[in-house]
Amino acid sequence: MDGFEVFFVEKWPYLATVLMILIGLYGMVLKRNLVKKLIGMNIFQGAIILFFIIHGWKRGATVPVYDEAFGDLPANYVNPIPHGLMLTAIVVSVATTGVALALLSLIYKRFGTLEEDELLRELRAEPAGAPSSGEMASQREDVEGAEPDDGGQR
Amino acid sequence: MGRVLAFLVIVAVGVVLVYAGFGLPAFGDPNAPASTHVSDAYIEHAYHDAHTPNFVTVMIADYRSFDTLGESIVVFTAGLACFLLLRSERRRKRQGGGQQT
Repeated sequence: MDGFEVFFVEKWPYLATVLMILIGLYGMVLKRNLVKKLIGMNIFQGAIILFFIIHGWKRGATVPVYDEAFGDLPANYVNPIPHGLMLTAIVVSVATTGVALALLSLIYKRFGTLEEDELLRELRAEPAGAPSSGEMASQREDVEGAEPDDGGQR
Repeated sequence: MGRVLAFLVIVAVGVVLVYAGFGLPAFGDPNAPASTHVSDAYIEHAYHDAHTPNFVTVMIADYRSFDTLGESIVVFTAGLACFLLLRSERRRKRQGGGQQT
């Protein structure tokens, strides 16, 4: 039990990252909507970023910007490496989210749904995929207007 | 059944992560391995090497600039992928309309 007390006193922010990782995993694995899965992935990435930032912090240190008053002493500044790495990670996570949203938009336009079980049912019903998607496209064009038809006549 | 199994796997991952947390250094420990070796060297030399007060800037743009170059390639690839995906969808829809009429 003593070990647990030390754990909670010294490493309580780590428990927050564990909680966030579990929420992200829950969203990715158990949610059936693809957008919710994507949100789960983003929560997971946020947990990883939080984990790195936590381990960059030093007790009694200031921001990693040079100051005459603090000089060159490493103990006076928090660790700049996790901050730089997580800057990169945030940019990459935005990029992956963008690609994922583009794919989701394609899936929605082709199948008309983002629910996983409906998508699987549709994919299993029509293994070739082409005729079903053609039907879907024609239905969607009726809804959206006559613009593609004009292009076809020309 | 599968969902219960997945939930159990998630709980197991949580247990493993908390167990692994016992090996981590304490929160805010100045002598943690992450903030001793290369981090000290960066803090000591960054201002004198690059004459930029912000250590994070020096690290990203000077010491690890190739890493940043790779990152920009990643972002470019992602943007290109988005562009091609959305464009192919627009073109496919237009061709589908042509086949219909």
